[in-house]
Amino acid sequence: MGELTKVTIDFQSSHLLFPIIIGCVLAVLGLAIVVRERSRITTSGSHWRRIFTQMDKFRFFGTLALTLAYFSLMVPVGDFWPNTGLGFLFCSIPFVFLAGLLFMHVWTARSVLVLATVAVLVPSLIWWLFTEVFFLTLP
Amino acid sequence: MPFFEFITPLFLLLIVGGTFVGVIFGAIPGMTATMAVAVCLPLTYPLGLENGLALLLGLYVGGISGGLVPAILLNIPGTPSSITTTFDGYPMTQKGEGEKALKIGICASFAGGIISLIALYLFAPALADFAIRFSYVEKFLIILFALSVMGALSTNMLIGIFSGFLGIFISLIGTYDISSGGNGKHRLIPSGLEYWLDSGFSLLPVLIGIFGLSAILQQAEAGMPPGLSRDKVRIGKSSKFSFSIFKGQVLNVIRSSGIGTFVGILPGVGGSAASILAYTNAKTFSKNPENFGKGEPAGIIASESGNNGLTGGALVPLLSLGIPGDSTTALLIGAFTLQGIQVGPLFIGNNPETWTAMIFAMLIANIVMFVMMFYAIRYVALIVTIPKHILFPIILMMCVIGAYTINYGIMFDVWTLLIFGLFGWLALKIRLEIAPFIIGFILGPSAEIYFVKSLESFGDLSIFFTKSWIAVLLWFLILGSIAGSAFISSKAREAE
Amino acid sequence: MTFTRRIILSFAAATVLSASSYVAVAQELPRNVRLVIGSKSTGGDTYQNSAIVAEALAEKLGINVKVDAVGATEAFKALNRDSRGTTLMIFHDQSYLGNLYGVQGYANPFEGYKIGPTVAINPGNAYLVPKSSKYQSMDDIFAAAKAGEKVRVAIQPGGVSEIGFSAMKNAAKVLSPGSEANIVAVNTGSQSDKNQTMWDDLADVINGSIQANEQFTQLPDDDRKAMRFVWITARPATLAQAPAQGMGNTTRDQMLKFADPETNVPLNGSENFTFDKEFFILYNQGMDDAIVQQIDTALTEIYAAGDIQKRQKEAFFIPNFLPSGEALAHLQAKRSTYEQVIKDITSN
Repeated sequence: MGELTKVTIDFQSSHLLFPIIIGCVLAVLGLAIVVRERSRITTSGSHWRRIFTQMDKFRFFGTLALTLAYFSLMVPVGDFWPNTGLGFLFCSIPFVFLAGLLFMHVWTARSVLVLATVAVLVPSLIWWLFTEVFFLTLP
Repeated sequence: MPFFEFITPLFLLLIVGGTFVGVIFGAIPGMTATMAVAVCLPLTYPLGLENGLALLLGLYVGGISGGLVPAILLNIPGTPSSITTTFDGYPMTQKGEGEKALKIGICASFAGGIISLIALYLFAPALADFAIRFSYVEKFLIILFALSVMGALSTNMLIGIFSGFLGIFISLIGTYDISSGGNGKHRLIPSGLEYWLDSGFSLLPVLIGIFGLSAILQQAEAGMPPGLSRDKVRIGKSSKFSFSIFKGQVLNVIRSSGIGTFVGILPGVGGSAASILAYTNAKTFSKNPENFGKGEPAGIIASESGNNGLTGGALVPLLSLGIPGDSTTALLIGAFTLQGIQVGPLFIGNNPETWTAMIFAMLIANIVMFVMMFYAIRYVALIVTIPKHILFPIILMMCVIGAYTINYGIMFDVWTLLIFGLFGWLALKIRLEIAPFIIGFILGPSAEIYFVKSLESFGDLSIFFTKSWIAVLLWFLILGSIAGSAFISSKAREAE
Repeated sequence: MTFTRRIILSFAAATVLSASSYVAVAQELPRNVRLVIGSKSTGGDTYQNSAIVAEALAEKLGINVKVDAVGATEAFKALNRDSRGTTLMIFHDQSYLGNLYGVQGYANPFEGYKIGPTVAINPGNAYLVPKSSKYQSMDDIFAAAKAGEKVRVAIQPGGVSEIGFSAMKNAAKVLSPGSEANIVAVNTGSQSDKNQTMWDDLADVINGSIQANEQFTQLPDDDRKAMRFVWITARPATLAQAPAQGMGNTTRDQMLKFADPETNVPLNGSENFTFDKEFFILYNQGMDDAIVQQIDTALTEIYAAGDIQKRQKEAFFIPNFLPSGEALAHLQAKRSTYEQVIKDITSN
């Protein structure tokens, strides 16, 4: 095939070779998309406005906020009882309950009670199964 | 019958129990067969070799099979290798054919498991000798072939391919992994984030973030519409499962199982590639490829017989080279060494009884898996009728467990879940395509290592064409696949 | 709603209560200990070793010990986060070799951490050639390098797999300065990758182990997979403690032929280079010395009882208990030897 196809790879910098190739391909493809879809891109402002007006903001951002709180509290709470997985348990119960309330459309006494029972029982069962039976590490 | 002394009630009980636990692990998003085996590995020490293997192989078969349940019902792949099952399984669930899809998947899994077991039993040493002819070059071409499905999975070719490359790009973030042959250096990490990103994003949290969390976010955005309720879905009523679905699919089953087995045999190529390749092939050779991705049973068949074909295949290099074919069989090496048994090219000859016991354990595990899942599945399928306000928080909690435990307790993996949950939601809004993205993400690291190592070892670009007849054959397959997807997309455009 | 509020309140109360009771007993290991390891594999030697030690410690002290295979960088991070003794780490020579070779993510463990006791050795680190190779011994390899022939050695760079290669280069330099340039690395990854480079004829010598490669040495000559040991890096004293029947069809006496002093890989004019992969415990820098003492005492008693040695030997490990003080001195000396080797071959 001759000299044209010869390449030498320096091992010390070989971690950059593939990212550069993929990066270049991405840039070319991205450019092609920008050119082809330019009309859609210039009108994207209204696209996003529509998304935000149609969005159930309370549930969407509520979900995000709850998830953020859930993830951030797990480790600090678990730190009180290291390596027991209790941080997971004590954060999951309120999370399941609150997220359930958030997603529920009509709050009736009965459905809230069912939810509360599930929110206590399921995480407890799961916690017991994974930490006590399968001996896995949870926060 | 001195050979069958190992078949005791305990042996059988362990297989049944192992398969059952395996199915549960596989069915929980984020829990994998690997995890199930890892968790139970310490139990095998007191059990002894044959009984220990019975348990582990049951877990392995069950774990690989269980992944189809959430893939089909919830659009969350239970394990990475059931990713392609979501493409056609979930659309069927949405049409109210969840139970049918599950049964198709289970039958295909069973067929894949049995076919690969036969291959393992009859050809193990010969296959291993063939597998070592695959150097970096051939392995790269196999990955390239699997990547060529990106085009076929895209609704908009250009954006689909862009998404696929974006997936590859993001999979490269972190360290060029030393243990797979890299130089251990960081790249693509925004400065200041080294502490978090030095190992990159793990596959499983990315997967369940994009499929699980982002689906929940979309539902929340839409105000949690009361979706599939019991009377609305009437699982299985609209279209009943019957074995006649498999008529005309025999070739697909055999081909997909064969692909699964073969990918399993190649060390390092990885389990997810098996089902992706099987799916690509099924689509390429199908008479109506345009139905793929919209609830085509052949897609489920290909994906599931492909990933269960892996089970027998991955044991080939383990038992005839001492090299694991995938991450789960890597753990089996631990089980052998715990008992002081060496695995290597002499294993089968030196331990004929263990070898027979393993084959029987796999056979029984496949049968148990089939019976258990086929008859229990109509109750499992009811999952979709649980009210969303209860189901979704619990799914999210399970995703957290899966993400946190996949690397034995790393909190960043849980955050990855959230990052990619948001990314998945955003991708839908800006019309990036998720399927090619995920395939790029899964295959990116292997594509890199085999590509760079090929050039590093041979120093010539032409090596990809001249290495061997296998390479040439693979090029034909790659070109066929690309031509196939171009044909499909032009047909789709005409139809519009 | 009051129902859940009450639950949350009672949780909060429980939190305060048990947290305060926890602080009172901080001078010994807590009831639940997490043992992180420097490997991501739960099938590998680090995991097995750690599982054996964890089980013994848990039984001895009546606590729970969970082994988590999080890998080196994450293990060091986890160890850094907690000084209460809730997190311990087990790793081997890779911990400082990674640092010596300048791998990203490896700090010097002797500076940022406390070194605990050593527990065992894996004596298996070895180098192999194809069975049909013209190199019969390490002497042949060094002679070939001297004669200007390139000898390609497949390794995984940056640690335990590379140190033997560095030693080979160093030996070539000792025997015939300049010839070390002919010993070149083929950088690759896992054991299967290393084997594959041999079968693809990309390497003349590969790094491997007794455990993983012994069966390949028993294959018939005409099998293209067949290999032959040329060097086992373990100290002779270590290898001498291995079971006499050895591993597979290779007896201990046969193994000793490939190790110092029968096989020569000079470190300098007088000594041979040796390398034992030693497993040891690492602690957070700020962990209470009382806990260090507690673990030392517990392990001393465990090793005196003798059961752990049986478990270790079954899995082809050599028992190797040194209490933390001795372990530190031993490992530091070992590190400086290797530091010198690496320095010598990189500065020409």
